[in-house]
Amino acid sequence: MHRSTPRLRALAALPFVVTLAVYLVLLALRYDRLPDTLATHFGPEGGRADGFTGRTAFTAVSTGLLLALGAGWTFLVRRGSLWGAWATAGFTGVLLVLLVRDNLDATDPAQVDSPLTNLLFAGATAALLGLAGWGLTRLVPRDEPAAGTGLPDAPRLPLGAGEVAGWSRATASRPLTVLAVLALAAAPAVLLLAPRPASLLGLLGLVIGLPGLALARVRVTVDRRGLTVRSALAPRPRARIPLDEVAGANVRELDTAAVLAEFGGWGYRVRAHRTGWIVRAGETLVVRRSSGREFAVTVPDARTAAALLNTLAERHGKV
Amino acid sequence: MLFRVDPASAVPLGDQIAACVRGALADGSAAPGERLPAARELADSLGVNVHTVLRGYQRLREEGLIELRRGRGALIVPGATAPDRARLVSRLREAAAEARELGLTDEEFLDLARTSLG
Repeated sequence: MHRSTPRLRALAALPFVVTLAVYLVLLALRYDRLPDTLATHFGPEGGRADGFTGRTAFTAVSTGLLLALGAGWTFLVRRGSLWGAWATAGFTGVLLVLLVRDNLDATDPAQVDSPLTNLLFAGATAALLGLAGWGLTRLVPRDEPAAGTGLPDAPRLPLGAGEVAGWSRATASRPLTVLAVLALAAAPAVLLLAPRPASLLGLLGLVIGLPGLALARVRVTVDRRGLTVRSALAPRPRARIPLDEVAGANVRELDTAAVLAEFGGWGYRVRAHRTGWIVRAGETLVVRRSSGREFAVTVPDARTAAALLNTLAERHGKV
Repeated sequence: MLFRVDPASAVPLGDQIAACVRGALADGSAAPGERLPAARELADSLGVNVHTVLRGYQRLREEGLIELRRGRGALIVPGATAPDRARLVSRLREAAAEARELGLTDEEFLDLARTSLG
């Protein structure tokens, strides 16, 4: 595994910095030609304005939007998604500039209209900049294969010849559990109290709460069958890596920033080169599969689990 | 928490499983209040009979180290004294084993224990 390099982050931030600079300069040059109230939302018929924002608020919100998008992309960008940063910056920048242009010298903001071609234009710019960003990807060195997860230097657990061993541990995310329980509790309340058909939204509580609860509390097991991670409440959902697919196991300490950067959040996360069952930050068991993919699960005492998994995998290979 | 058993050992498997829990509690790799794996699950893990695991859990319950609740599985007793209690039980079992080796009868050992209580 790796962290985003400074170069990658800089390349992700660049389009937003340029867009923001160009946008602010344009805004400053044309500020006196903008009306006090800008049309900022347009209806489906002919692009006629139906939503309005004050001039100062508009400046603040649009600048904040660019800053937030830029910060998000800079923080979370991966090598394979750099093009997305460029496309997003282009799309947002063009839309904002065209919006300002449509509002120039407007006396009645309700009369402002924004042609659908604005979207087309923004989309085309996004495609072009996306291509440029994709081209720039080659400036970023390719991911290094994870160090230290091969079998040789990984932790071991000495076992006697006839000894059978298993490791099992439950782990839970308190915030996820609380959220899931709240969602579940809200479901019957909304179903009973709200008027139909709006009350059917209460079913959402079940849709969110049940899988949420199943994912929030997990039991991790290492034994003669390999690594098994399953919900602590039910036999499914379950993830299993059989011993003959284990190429090596190790322990990592994941802090919140690393969780966001590598898995994009909590829960059951599938990314390009790794899968994670992440219920919190902290000690993480990382298993390298023979396919090259990584499987990670946050669990206390992961060192013992990794050591046992390596020992069992090795023993399995000998038999 | 780590369970390791040796089917070739003279010690009954259930006792070996109980010893794992005691050891883990004593050395801090298992915490008071922690939930143990369900008996069926642990039996599958180790390839032993589910009744063997239950015998081990039953022993731990008699020693006051775990609570067994229907439907909720086995729970290490909550409270800060659980690790010390686990260490005490381990030492008692060692003492009992030593007494057997010395050829003491159960009655003699209990008398000895009573005497040490003062």
